[in-house]
Amino acid sequence: MKSFSERVEIRGRSLWSRNAVKGVSLRGERLKRDGRKEWRQWNPRASKLGAALIKASETGLLPEPGSMCLYLGSGHGTSISHLHDHMCGAKNHLGGVIVAVDISSRCIRDMIRLSKARPGKVPVMADCRHTEHILPFLSKKVPWLFQDVSQSGQVEMFIEACNNFLAPNGTGLLSLKSASERDTQGAFDYAEKSLKDAGLTLIERIDLAGWEDQHVLFHVVC
Amino acid sequence: MKLVWDWRFARVYDDNQRVIDECVWSGNQTPVALAERLALLMEGRMTTEARTLADRFPECIVTPSTSVNSWPDLESHESTLLQEASLQLAGRNVADSASNPDFRLEHLVRATEEMRTAHNTLESRIVEWAGLFLPKLDLDLNRNQIAAAVTGSENLQETAEHLDTTSAGVEVGKKEWSGIHSLASSTVNLAADVERMEDSIRELSSIHLPSLSLLLGPLLAAKLCTTAHGRERLARLPASTIQVLGAETAFFMHMRQGTPPPKHGHIFQHPWICRSPKWTRGSIARMLAAKAAIAVRVDHFGGETWTSKQISEIEQKVGEIRARKSRR
Repeated sequence: MKSFSERVEIRGRSLWSRNAVKGVSLRGERLKRDGRKEWRQWNPRASKLGAALIKASETGLLPEPGSMCLYLGSGHGTSISHLHDHMCGAKNHLGGVIVAVDISSRCIRDMIRLSKARPGKVPVMADCRHTEHILPFLSKKVPWLFQDVSQSGQVEMFIEACNNFLAPNGTGLLSLKSASERDTQGAFDYAEKSLKDAGLTLIERIDLAGWEDQHVLFHVVC
Repeated sequence: MKLVWDWRFARVYDDNQRVIDECVWSGNQTPVALAERLALLMEGRMTTEARTLADRFPECIVTPSTSVNSWPDLESHESTLLQEASLQLAGRNVADSASNPDFRLEHLVRATEEMRTAHNTLESRIVEWAGLFLPKLDLDLNRNQIAAAVTGSENLQETAEHLDTTSAGVEVGKKEWSGIHSLASSTVNLAADVERMEDSIRELSSIHLPSLSLLLGPLLAAKLCTTAHGRERLARLPASTIQVLGAETAFFMHMRQGTPPPKHGHIFQHPWICRSPKWTRGSIARMLAAKAAIAVRVDHFGGETWTSKQISEIEQKVGEIRARKSRR
């Protein structure tokens, strides 16, 4: 057993987060009772953050519970729901805020539905390239930033986002899919070099092979 | 001096990072009101508080709040308000996307393509199936009539009469006949549905892309717009890309393996290209794609919509290319 926080841990071979909305499984994940607590399985195939937690050797991947974080490319909100379990807890008694940005109205509509049962999420329908569209929801720099947008030029977008939104010593996570870039072969090395050139400290390059092919998650500190 | 603001308040800082002046949002703090404000800020506009301070200190430099370290954190009631407002705003944005003609056109075009594919599959099945019982019929010549003939008759003999041929005389059970009949009527209905869908595309496309529709025809204009993922993107594409939109396989084969480059993509469907001699098509496609690029820019960026005058000028150019090429 390996514990990341009071609310996220690995038991046996699977990853679990403590369910903030008891009895509700969002995408048919397994639920497990443990006294008064309920745990919800975090599927590493559906969530790159989940896969990274299993494969990472360094710590510090998850944000502090009760803090504010920025999630670019929220998708349908699978990872976000587990992040919410970790940061906000039931009825957001920890006081965390997750600003979830996505460009697709299809994804945001799912996010809105999820946000109603899980207070603490701020869904924003915007293009991650446009800093000024995200800025009004943040006010201050955040200590934790995650980007998973799967489009060309995502490394530059991530560096831009870190410069604009990531607080000093904050954690930045970039999920990179090599197939989204023009140069599929050199994408990871190029990304690593760009991140270092931009003055970010690379903590770990986590290869998600096994869970998510051709994906690497870069863990950096501003 | 710096002028900094977010949705809560605006502040002026001096060069020593001290607050000189402050203006707080005093309006009714409801989620709806905040959603309005956030929408305003997303457009890059100032709040009223920020404008007040900007008038008071015109020499201030506008600075984003994220670059000020001492900017106050959200208090818990502010954080709750922000969450409620963001739900409002996101909900409104999702609803707004229904009014986006690009999304509607995409569904129309794709649905029509899928229905057409389904129609072709069903039609070839009914032709073979009914043809089994009508051995003397030329299935290729009468392909289009068979489904309608089956639909309009009560049994195989009647179908044969409709098609001026004789049936094989095989006894077909009532249930099997009703199977044949329902497949045929689905085929006929589907053909009518495809027609209706295309009419709908023509209508929407002529409004959304008036100039491009006039130049290329509304169906082809809609197809290009969908392939390019929206009018905005189509308007920003170079003409050379528009020329090969829809010929991606051939184009990337050319890039990877050096096969000859495609001369035309979807644009080939235009009669000026597909009805021209083969050796003139490349030139006409290049010219037409360049004109299409201009037309879609006119549509997207609010230019004066083209009339038949421009179209006839372009048609004249097509004629010139054909004449020039034929002399060689």
